[in-house]
Amino acid sequence: MELYKKPAYLLSEMIKKKECSAVEITQSFFNRIGNIDEKIGAYITLNNEGALKAAKVVDEKIAKGEAVSPIAGVPIGIKDNISTKGLLTTCASKMLYNYVPPFNATVMEKLISNDSVILGKLNMDEFAMGSSTESSYFKLTRNPHNLDKVPGGSSGGSAASVAAGECAFALGTDTGGSIRMPAAYCGVVGLKPTYGTVSRYGVVAFASSFDQVGPIARNVKDIALLYNAICGYDKLEATSVKKSYPDFTKGISGNVKGLRIGIPAEYFGKGVDSEVKEKVLSMVKELEKQGAKVIEINLPSTEYALSAYYIISSAEASSNLARFDGVRYGYRAKEYDNLIDMYEKTRDEGFGDEVKRRIMLGTFVLSSGYFDAYYKKAKVVAQNITKEFNHAFEECDVIATPTTPVTAFNIGENINDPVKMCAGDICTVPINIAGLPAISVPCGTICKMPVGIQFIANKFNENILLNTARAVELINGEAEVCEISGQEGK
Amino acid sequence: MSSKVSNNDYEIVVGLEVHAELNTVTKAYCSCKNSFGLEVNSQICPICTALPGALPTLNEKVVEYAIKMGHALNCKINNVTKQDRKNYFYPDLPKAYQISQFDIPLCEHGYLDVLLDDGEEKRIGVTRIHIEEDAGKLLHDEAFSGSLVDFNRSSVPLIEIVSEPDIRSSKEAKAYLETIKSILKYLNISDAKMQEGSIRCDVNVSVRKKRQKEFGTRCEMKNVNSFSAAMRAIDYEANRQIEVIENGGVINQETRRWDDVKGISIAMRSKEDAQDYRYFPEPDLGTIVVDKTFIQKLKDEIPELPHIKQKRYIKELGIPQVDAALLVENLDKSRLFDECMDIGGCSAKNVSNWILGDVSKVMNDLNKSIYDTNVTAEKLVEIITLIEKGEISTSAGKTVFEEILSSDKAVSQIVDEKGLKQISDSGVIEQIVKDVLSENEKSINDYKNGKTNALGFLVGQCMKRSKGKANPALAKELILKYIEQ
Amino acid sequence: MDINVKHLAKLSMLKMDEKQLEKFEKDMQDIVKMVQKLPKIQGDLISLDPENPMILREDKLSEKPFTRAEILSNAPEEIAGCIVVPKTLES
Ligand SMILES: [Mg+2]
Ligand SMILES: [Zn+2]
Repeated sequence: MELYKKPAYLLSEMIKKKECSAVEITQSFFNRIGNIDEKIGAYITLNNEGALKAAKVVDEKIAKGEAVSPIAGVPIGIKDNISTKGLLTTCASKMLYNYVPPFNATVMEKLISNDSVILGKLNMDEFAMGSSTESSYFKLTRNPHNLDKVPGGSSGGSAASVAAGECAFALGTDTGGSIRMPAAYCGVVGLKPTYGTVSRYGVVAFASSFDQVGPIARNVKDIALLYNAICGYDKLEATSVKKSYPDFTKGISGNVKGLRIGIPAEYFGKGVDSEVKEKVLSMVKELEKQGAKVIEINLPSTEYALSAYYIISSAEASSNLARFDGVRYGYRAKEYDNLIDMYEKTRDEGFGDEVKRRIMLGTFVLSSGYFDAYYKKAKVVAQNITKEFNHAFEECDVIATPTTPVTAFNIGENINDPVKMCAGDICTVPINIAGLPAISVPCGTICKMPVGIQFIANKFNENILLNTARAVELINGEAEVCEISGQEGK
Repeated sequence: MSSKVSNNDYEIVVGLEVHAELNTVTKAYCSCKNSFGLEVNSQICPICTALPGALPTLNEKVVEYAIKMGHALNCKINNVTKQDRKNYFYPDLPKAYQISQFDIPLCEHGYLDVLLDDGEEKRIGVTRIHIEEDAGKLLHDEAFSGSLVDFNRSSVPLIEIVSEPDIRSSKEAKAYLETIKSILKYLNISDAKMQEGSIRCDVNVSVRKKRQKEFGTRCEMKNVNSFSAAMRAIDYEANRQIEVIENGGVINQETRRWDDVKGISIAMRSKEDAQDYRYFPEPDLGTIVVDKTFIQKLKDEIPELPHIKQKRYIKELGIPQVDAALLVENLDKSRLFDECMDIGGCSAKNVSNWILGDVSKVMNDLNKSIYDTNVTAEKLVEIITLIEKGEISTSAGKTVFEEILSSDKAVSQIVDEKGLKQISDSGVIEQIVKDVLSENEKSINDYKNGKTNALGFLVGQCMKRSKGKANPALAKELILKYIEQ
Repeated sequence: MDINVKHLAKLSMLKMDEKQLEKFEKDMQDIVKMVQKLPKIQGDLISLDPENPMILREDKLSEKPFTRAEILSNAPEEIAGCIVVPKTLES
């Protein structure tokens, strides 16, 4: 089997056992990228030199018998809204088409200190706003399971590259489902950690209250490996939580005996495809067979979650994206009459429509006369949603829902209907509102397109999520690299 | 324009917003150096230039300093608070929002008692003190078509002190501003240098007919760069508003720009196009919780503040108001004065005169603190006491003072070495007086015939004969005794 | 629902021609209609979380300060160590 097809945990072992070198692995991935990325469109920027250099360092350390991190030498792809020192970081926007950060995001510092091999920067929806990766200024990313379908978004490049074997695992960011949804659409595993566990420092902000960085991989063990490396308190981030974390690779046997699984009726209502419902519920049945207890629960405020999410996230985004003004970095309009003209033209030309819509919505809900009716009310709803989850976790250990109401849709299908586009986030946004951890893991396919089951746990209970997801994986088997038609076996 | 309107029919109502830069080591939200006057853009980082992904962290000293000021201005301290974003675009504001405080300021409901020139005390309400960040600096050059941005000042911590509209004249405004400034310096939380922009103010002015209850429409004036400019701006603006009203016009709520060179205010923007700042809670920062015992500890550490000190000097020590003001204005002078008073033994007035006189002169001439010389409160008290007791003359005292500046000799040693001790032995002086009188009969007669300055001549002769050591008061007393016998 | 898209565009510093305004007018109507779906609750907004106080930063200088060149490396226009912008109005 070619190296790029192997899971990260195996590559890690092989490097340590000197069965292959990190350089060989890295080259295998670059070959794969070279062969298929024209079709997939996952990468915006490749880090050939840097990656090979890092791989060499790992090989030298191994040769010298030095101890290395479990993720040392394992090639990773990075969503392009995470600042990488010296490497283009565009947020898939014209606004940052030429921006090279002079500093690393804290997660990048962590990866580098773990001798991670950074393959490059992955495509996404512009500024992480979207659910299909179609709003990227640079390119489309296609779903490796069906090139006519979207990979989901906004971490579409991350999920697609993992599914297609263009990296062993990847980092994405999740503000309203942007890790879990593309993971579900692309048939891989995606973890959105508890708010405050992975540093946001250096991650280009969309909605500060909701943004979290998380791992995307083809199996749960790889998720745990990567999560171990990136979580932890960061004194550069005021909302970072100061606590110690366990080794997440431990205790993921997949044993669900006695696990209390909550099923909220609100997540299986209308709008959710009946086949998706069926796949998710039959997986829950399987878990029940293995000793899990299924409990029906209620999360009545769910119906308001989407509204609250769009109001709060857009409000924060309108302010967070105000710094893109053409003054200090990135795109600046070529011709302008005065300062205001420079601002307006730069932002008009630099941002795409979806970003503009969110900025305008956010400006609207914060503007004088509307603040109480929109922003304030949305925050009250958010508080209620959080309370309801807290209450639910008195009765159950995890909550199971579909990750998305439908499977991946066709490219172009929803692009002109912003409201329909965001309806796909209905199952994922409440989790960001409540700051909880959630994981999406594949639970079957409909017409060859993957379906994801989402598990939600109480704060800091990522270990429970990983174990539950592992149980699903034991039933379905770990995801394998997608064959891309016409490019294999040459 | 019409002739001068009778201002007596109107009352001026002023509220002030004072921004003071805090003198912390680092900036408010990043670890860059907080320092004035360094090379452009030499103290910047991803945070204070708002590079994508950079996040703020709040400097603990900012909270501490603001609470100190809150205590000084008798505020209630909100031990649980937060920060908010104030959104607007400007090239000196890299994030396009200022991190500030909106509905829950760190300190609120305070007041300040200021002493006016006429000796009256006036209480001015302090609405709130909140923490926020400064913007960068825009540099302009006539020869150049654009503006240049320097971010060294970006994210430097500020406190904004908002007063109630309790101020009724430009003089009250000045007294308030000067008191605020001296408190900042006493607390050592701000350099409070107007010329470096480390303290700035916005002035809100309205007028109303006397006995009218409700306030008039106010105008806010920006770009007021000194306390005297604040006085000029208030007087100008009040007169302008009175004239508008007297001519049958109405005042529009607006922001005006003060042009101190021309001495006029110019409308900048009306209420209608007032900016919509879209304040909302800063999601990148969490809840600020300050330990209540820490708040009390900060309160206990507040030194006696200048305006309280001044009152004490006047009321308890009988120092004239002007002198008291001069003493408290300077931390070294008031410290030296207080130390002298603690040692005791000489009159407060004399100590004050010495400090405002010779000590001040020396500090000015040498351009250094009195504490950087060998002068101590003990030595100063010793000199003044010797003068008061008549053991040395005032001019001898000055000689001793000059000497101790640079020498570490004891006062008594200098007096001895220089032979400055006054002759206060009446026997010795009596002999001198007798000698002088016997040689100056003409002067005795002049005096007896009403030429009173003959007495001065006679005292002078005694001093001359004693080589300046005779106690002149005693000599005078004895001369009179003999003449009138 | 009356949404002043022109005003919002101005506040957001987005230049919009008539055609764009029309398009965004419609989009905004749809989006606002969607987010209007909020319950008639009167709960108080709790914006403080005293149970989880923020850790404040020590007032200590950065050990690895950035150079001006690093921070300004992405500037569209720079003169004499400063970023250049069109002349500001209030100068
Ligand atoms: Mg302010
Ligand atoms: Zn800085």
